[in-house]
Amino acid sequence: MRVDVWITARVVTAAATLAVLTVIVFWATEVLPGDAVGVLSGPTATDAEREAVRLALGLDRPALERYLEWIGGALRGDLGTSLVSGREVAPLVGARLSTSLAVLVPAVLLIVTLAGTLGTAAGLRHGGRLDRWLSGTTLGLIGTPDFLIATALLVLLTAWWPVLPAVALIPPGQSLWSHPELVVLPAVALALGGFGSTMRLLRASVAQTVTTPFAEFARLNGVRGHRYVWGVVVSNALAPAVMALAVMTAGLLGGAIVVETLFNVPGMGSELTQAVAGRDVPLVQGLSLVLGTMTLLLLLVGDVAAKLLHRHAPATSGGHR
Amino acid sequence: MTARRWVLAVPVLLVLTVALAGPWVPAGSVTAPIGASFAPPTAEHPLGTDVLGRDVFARALAGGRVLVAQAVAATLLGSLVGLTVGVWAGVTHHRAVGRSLMRVVDGLAALPALLLLMLLATGMPGNDVAVAAGIAIVSAPFSVRVLHESAARLAATDYARHAEARGEGLLTRTRSDILPGLVPVALAEAGIRFVAATQLAATAGFLGLGAGAPVANWGRMVRENSTGAAMNPLPVIVPAALLVVLAVSVTVLIDRTSVSTRLAPERIERAA
Amino acid sequence: MRRLTAAGIAPVAVSLVLVGCSAGPEPGPGPEQAAAPVTTTGGALRAAFAGGSTETLNYLKGPTALDYVRARLVHAPLCELDPSAPEGVAYGVVEQIDVSEDLAQYTLHIRDGVTFTDGTALSAQDVLYSLRAPVLLEGLPFTRLVARSFDLDAATVTDPSTVVLPTLAPVADGRELICQSMLAIKDGTTEFTPQTPSSGPFTIAAFEPGQSTLLERNDDFYGPAPTLDEIALVSIADGTARVNALRQGQVDYVSGLSPAQAQTLEGESEVTVVTSDLPYASYQFFSMNLDVEPFADPRVREAFKLAVNREQIIENVYFGHAFEGNDVPALGFRSYDTTLEQRAYDPDRARELLADAGQEGMSVELTAGPELPGMVETATLLVEDLKAVGVDATLRELAPGQLFADYPAYLALPFKVGYSPPALFEPNYTPGTFPEVDVLVQTARSAPTAQERLEASHAAQRLLWEQGNQIAPVFVPAISAASTAVGGVRELQFPDLSQATVTR
Repeated sequence: MRVDVWITARVVTAAATLAVLTVIVFWATEVLPGDAVGVLSGPTATDAEREAVRLALGLDRPALERYLEWIGGALRGDLGTSLVSGREVAPLVGARLSTSLAVLVPAVLLIVTLAGTLGTAAGLRHGGRLDRWLSGTTLGLIGTPDFLIATALLVLLTAWWPVLPAVALIPPGQSLWSHPELVVLPAVALALGGFGSTMRLLRASVAQTVTTPFAEFARLNGVRGHRYVWGVVVSNALAPAVMALAVMTAGLLGGAIVVETLFNVPGMGSELTQAVAGRDVPLVQGLSLVLGTMTLLLLLVGDVAAKLLHRHAPATSGGHR
Repeated sequence: MTARRWVLAVPVLLVLTVALAGPWVPAGSVTAPIGASFAPPTAEHPLGTDVLGRDVFARALAGGRVLVAQAVAATLLGSLVGLTVGVWAGVTHHRAVGRSLMRVVDGLAALPALLLLMLLATGMPGNDVAVAAGIAIVSAPFSVRVLHESAARLAATDYARHAEARGEGLLTRTRSDILPGLVPVALAEAGIRFVAATQLAATAGFLGLGAGAPVANWGRMVRENSTGAAMNPLPVIVPAALLVVLAVSVTVLIDRTSVSTRLAPERIERAA
Repeated sequence: MRRLTAAGIAPVAVSLVLVGCSAGPEPGPGPEQAAAPVTTTGGALRAAFAGGSTETLNYLKGPTALDYVRARLVHAPLCELDPSAPEGVAYGVVEQIDVSEDLAQYTLHIRDGVTFTDGTALSAQDVLYSLRAPVLLEGLPFTRLVARSFDLDAATVTDPSTVVLPTLAPVADGRELICQSMLAIKDGTTEFTPQTPSSGPFTIAAFEPGQSTLLERNDDFYGPAPTLDEIALVSIADGTARVNALRQGQVDYVSGLSPAQAQTLEGESEVTVVTSDLPYASYQFFSMNLDVEPFADPRVREAFKLAVNREQIIENVYFGHAFEGNDVPALGFRSYDTTLEQRAYDPDRARELLADAGQEGMSVELTAGPELPGMVETATLLVEDLKAVGVDATLRELAPGQLFADYPAYLALPFKVGYSPPALFEPNYTPGTFPEVDVLVQTARSAPTAQERLEASHAAQRLLWEQGNQIAPVFVPAISAASTAVGGVRELQFPDLSQATVTR
């Protein structure tokens, strides 16, 4: 299949998946016990006041009607208004996504740099001293829950050696992108959490490539140094690593909740938690839609990259033996 | 097993024993307060008391079983799904069906993990099985993708293609051509999934999504008691340390096993 | 005025504007203070609250405490609760409230010289609009307290400084209702932006929901001039993150601490922990559903109340930062019956009562959620106490926000936790459970003499104490912490920062 046709097919299926996703999320939020009326009214409201809130929020209308209205708006780029704060969802989600990315992008760059170099180095000489040392370190990192890593960083860099601000306080009218000093701690915490598994996958992939007959053949034919590392090992080990990186990045985007909470980063994860607690259906929908889109996009990029790498990787094309 | 691997197995067995047999140890009430909150250790209560004045020792003993059970169940389920779906989709000559299957898996992966866990926890409050199922659903798509990628790569090798051309059955091809190469990846993947599952279960507890009060759970203990860490750090440190030791030693064990498998290239050669 | 006599603001310079205007009968500031020149020491305060992205300038729709704290600084209160004042309120934009003999009509007198930031003078029309705004602008139920007892549609402006407000039925506690949370906004205000004309001590310079608000002093404020030049209200959702921000000096003041956090901070030298005083403590109760068989028996209800070890809850959950409850609401308010005997902790008697009722070993599930600091923890200990008297009690913990989200389901639960913010007993009592109490509360609100009203209220409270279906082991205060440089913060139902000072 040609790559462009293949990509088009993927985009179409991704769009269909998103449509299904919105139905699932809407339905799931809908069947949860309780609604925004109860949340907003609190324990002291009278029944008449509750009804007034229900009418004002439009929650007296059937769920299907509300869904169709929402999806109609979403197709035009209007994600509706939040039930709890009355603010428009689209700019709100946009701001949260921007904040999340401000932490995620540096974290992923950090992971790629560290995991790429160290993973390749360890995989090339698996069983060696560097590999053993890195194995121990990454296993320790993988084994330590994110909230412990983040807490340890907090204690270390804010209480004992206070060089960085503990909490991301963003002045009004500015974004996290213009405050690198606020990004460092959450980004490092996030990177430490994701670094271990990515490095290990890359290392396993490199180590396996090294043992393939093709790599052995190359070695026996005197391919050495950079040509061996880049042309033979990395190009073959890259496909699964890129895939793993895409998957991990997607996971970090919506799953950075602990780091976002501890460092007070107003990102997607913390927003989603609050939206579910407040039964703010349009906001939950908007956040899920954007998270789902980003995830599918990342997976798509990972797949495309892996496919392109495959085409160029000689080991599996079978023509070299 | 070598002596070295036995050494590595000791902490795993120790923590697993504490986790699984702990609830049977008659260490006093897990839920009733025995004194002031965050009291320091005494001879009678070697780990002091927690946020509500309960015995930390008794709670630490009681708090691991659910977590380990959740992680094991989620890992087994996730790996099983990953192996079956991933390998089948990678090996089958019904390429179209395999591709659509992968699209369904993509769709599942697009569902934000956190949202899924939260919806499950809100819909079924205090349900440990729901958390385990949620973790399995969250991790299975990733297992499928990683294993599918490896399986597809192995299926595209010359020897596998020759086998296919010879008209060997799917099961035979899988057993002789795919699995030997896949085992290390699958084991590494399962190890990562187990650790991730332990973490997710602990994080669920940390975020208050897991089983409700007054149940003891290592993840929940860390959250409950973190505010009092300055008064008595043990109710935070002990469950956290148990979690870390468990996760790290399990991964090390699996890692060593998979390295030895991978270091036997003759098996791949033989398959070819 | 309570605003001036509140502890901790002695060094604050007092604006001369207020002194001549203290029309209320409460003691005004002393002559020395009145003679002091107007000085402003300036400075900026950074205060952190839980907040969240649901933050809105429309305080009528804002569900978080931060929204009201901000609104209270931007819009001048009509008047405020002041349990120590003879009338129970401290006046603000409204300088006096007269009640007719038959308790059917309230007359509000508007202070002269109050202006909005657009330069217009505040009139009776603005005050009437402010009173109607919660209904007109579809405010959340808790903002509609006045509309429940007054006929706002029939209210009239008789002259530029007088509003006449008829009641729906005669009530004596109307002053407190009007003064609970009413703020002065301009007639015709329908949306709230940083540019919306306001009348409070501060104006909004910048606002970013879920992040922060920057407030600047309003030099045209009619009341006591704030000393601060600026206040930054910061939103930090997580309690631990708030404490970290305070420890590191990123903020000067944090609100909404958990009792354990307060306990940890108490030992630190640079930080002061403040607990709100009575009556500003939330009523936390455990409600037994009378429609569920065992609770229909008053002996079971009494047994449950006797089984609770209140002291242990105060010590283990709240580290002493809580007030012992006596199973009746509104502790610290004027009509609270202090002559009621404090409920004892008597597990033996509880066991006897359960045996008499034939309910030894009864099963019950308590439903709780983290809606108030220590709520789940209190419920946990309560379940242990019940187990100790032979009840097969279990706890069901809900996710945050879930407890009241499905209100009909909440009402149907057999045994559940609940709370109400600090408020008077009589107007907030929900009738329908005990007919006898309903009648007494009605009398307590509408009888012609204060004596009759107080007696009826006490009789109602005694009935609730004896037979009621609510166990109230503790009243929960708000806990905040500030760097030692901060002074003048009043811990009311929500913290009031208008007279705060920062010395650097």
